[in-house]
Amino acid sequence: MDIVLLFAMVVGLMLIGVPIAVSLGLSSMIFLMMLSDASLASVAQTLFSAFQGHYTLLAIPFFILASVFMSTGGVAHRIIRFAIAVVGSFRGGLAMASVFACMMFAALSGSSPATVVAIGSIVIAGMVKVGYTKEFAAGVICNAGTLGILIPPSIVMVVYAAATDVSVGRMFLAGVIPGLMAGGLLMLAIYAFAVYKKLPAQPWAGWSEIFEAARDASWGLLLIVIILGGIYGGIFTPTEAAAVAAIYAFLIANFIYCDMGPFKEKGAGGAMILWRGLSIFWHKDTKKSLFEAGKLTIMLLFIIANALILKHVLTEERIPQMITEAMLSAGFGPIMFLVVVNILLLIGGQFMEPSGLLIIVAPLVFPIAITLGIDPIHLGIIMVVNMEIGMITPPVGLNLFVTAGVAGMSMLNVVRAAAPWLAIMFLFLIIVTYVPIVSTWLPTLMMGPEIITK
Amino acid sequence: MHHEPTSRLGQVIDDIEETSIALCLGLMTLITFANVVARYVMNSNILWALELTVFLFAWLVLMGASYAVKKHIHIGVDVVLNAVSPGPRKILAILSVAACLAFSILLLIGSWNYWYPFITERAWLETEDIPMPGMFMFLADWFNEGERYEKVPRFIPYLALPLGMALLTFRFLQVGWQIITGKLDKIIASHEVEEEIEQVRAQAEDKREDL
Repeated sequence: MDIVLLFAMVVGLMLIGVPIAVSLGLSSMIFLMMLSDASLASVAQTLFSAFQGHYTLLAIPFFILASVFMSTGGVAHRIIRFAIAVVGSFRGGLAMASVFACMMFAALSGSSPATVVAIGSIVIAGMVKVGYTKEFAAGVICNAGTLGILIPPSIVMVVYAAATDVSVGRMFLAGVIPGLMAGGLLMLAIYAFAVYKKLPAQPWAGWSEIFEAARDASWGLLLIVIILGGIYGGIFTPTEAAAVAAIYAFLIANFIYCDMGPFKEKGAGGAMILWRGLSIFWHKDTKKSLFEAGKLTIMLLFIIANALILKHVLTEERIPQMITEAMLSAGFGPIMFLVVVNILLLIGGQFMEPSGLLIIVAPLVFPIAITLGIDPIHLGIIMVVNMEIGMITPPVGLNLFVTAGVAGMSMLNVVRAAAPWLAIMFLFLIIVTYVPIVSTWLPTLMMGPEIITK
Repeated sequence: MHHEPTSRLGQVIDDIEETSIALCLGLMTLITFANVVARYVMNSNILWALELTVFLFAWLVLMGASYAVKKHIHIGVDVVLNAVSPGPRKILAILSVAACLAFSILLLIGSWNYWYPFITERAWLETEDIPMPGMFMFLADWFNEGERYEKVPRFIPYLALPLGMALLTFRFLQVGWQIITGKLDKIIASHEVEEEIEQVRAQAEDKREDL
């Protein structure tokens, strides 16, 4: 089996410490040279067409940029304040508020580790201060942070859409209800645990605090309205929506929140104010944010571009078709198939960065899913939820590393702390996998039934 | 985790690379935004906006990949590396640099083979929409037998491939040398927010000192 050799090579290279992007690219090139007469020039062409041929992927740098502008300083604080005002007065309120804050931050950023850093660096210390154990706090954040890729906008969903040619808009909408559900389940579990353990509650701050905190946070939260509203209103494409979101976040961070740029320090107004306003374009904070977002874009897109080379190899060798035939002739029904997909992704997700994994696995399982009559959007959400779980399971769970760093705990302790909440995510995965309507109801309602062409 | 360049030259090159990355992304965002504005306010599209953005995107990532090698930003799996003792770790690191070099050299050859026709027998091939600025028209004399370009010729955007891969090869060689001389023990980062976590930790330390 050549295909087994190919994947063994990818995993082997990764394990000795080769960057993921290089492992994918090099294995594909070696495989191509061994088994076909494809030229190296065609590989270079595939690499370039990752950018030229995938307009959808262009949304990723813009979403990253919007999220970087939104993460400069105060937005996380404002969201947390609002979350505490709303749910803080329940037993275990601070932990529930952390989950709620993660959900809201997920709606501003498309990445899970970013969510853990932004929210976790503030609330873990806060929870410890009012008497929660550090393990409890870290476990909650580690799990809730995974919502970053399920609640739109989500970079992983953009990648899935690019790999399978489904609509980004539909994917985003499909993530809304599962996202709310996962957050709700986590909060319920925390509440039950808090009542049982008699965890502390925050004092009720009153409706005025809720309104005030909401007003303060609303400038940031409006971002998600612009993105979703813009896409579903047909005003702009998802890529344009991302660019508009980035510009919006830039203006809010500079002029409304003053978390960055020339207005961060209070100073003289008057005639100079116009000049200061203009100086946002060359201010060092602007450059720094652009550079940070650029760096992340380079890292992520280099993986995706190389995963696309591997995808190209797989389709060239007709491997998806072979797997489809093998699976169908083995008599796999939809349920068995979904179990296999779940297991495959859970294992893969422990070794690989979610976007790269999706690019590779999606074309392998997509044709089978269509043949078996599984909805492509539903499949996409299943994959995203699997990635979430992959992020919190050892050995290479991304969120585990990040939480360990943010909370100042050892990896092993974080794994132990996250484990009980992992059970809830598994329960959630089962619901999402076998109740397709959770994912497909909202997009069908908003955008009409889907036309499956493949 | 800070890899400050030691020499003055290194500092200048860092600055150039970082500014280009920021500028590239900034331009992409502004052009795409301007196109939306043009459509709704002036009822017309900027014809070349999409194509130019896509090419900037390609340049950003293909050229940026080498910067990411220099700053150890590319992520990978480091469980095995962390589990073994320094001796074997060095061997593994040298092996992985060798793999990286194989990758970048193969791609460099491929990129050159792909790009070369675009500047020789197919130098007349133009991009779809991006108009050719007059000041670069000397390229027409050099490569296109004097025939003027209406649009930017394709060998310009595609240049990102050979150039990017050459730079990548150079940076891998550099990192390889650092590993052999023992200045570095691995070429990968374990996740995308390593720097942010360093900052969070540094802040926590500061607070502890304040108390």
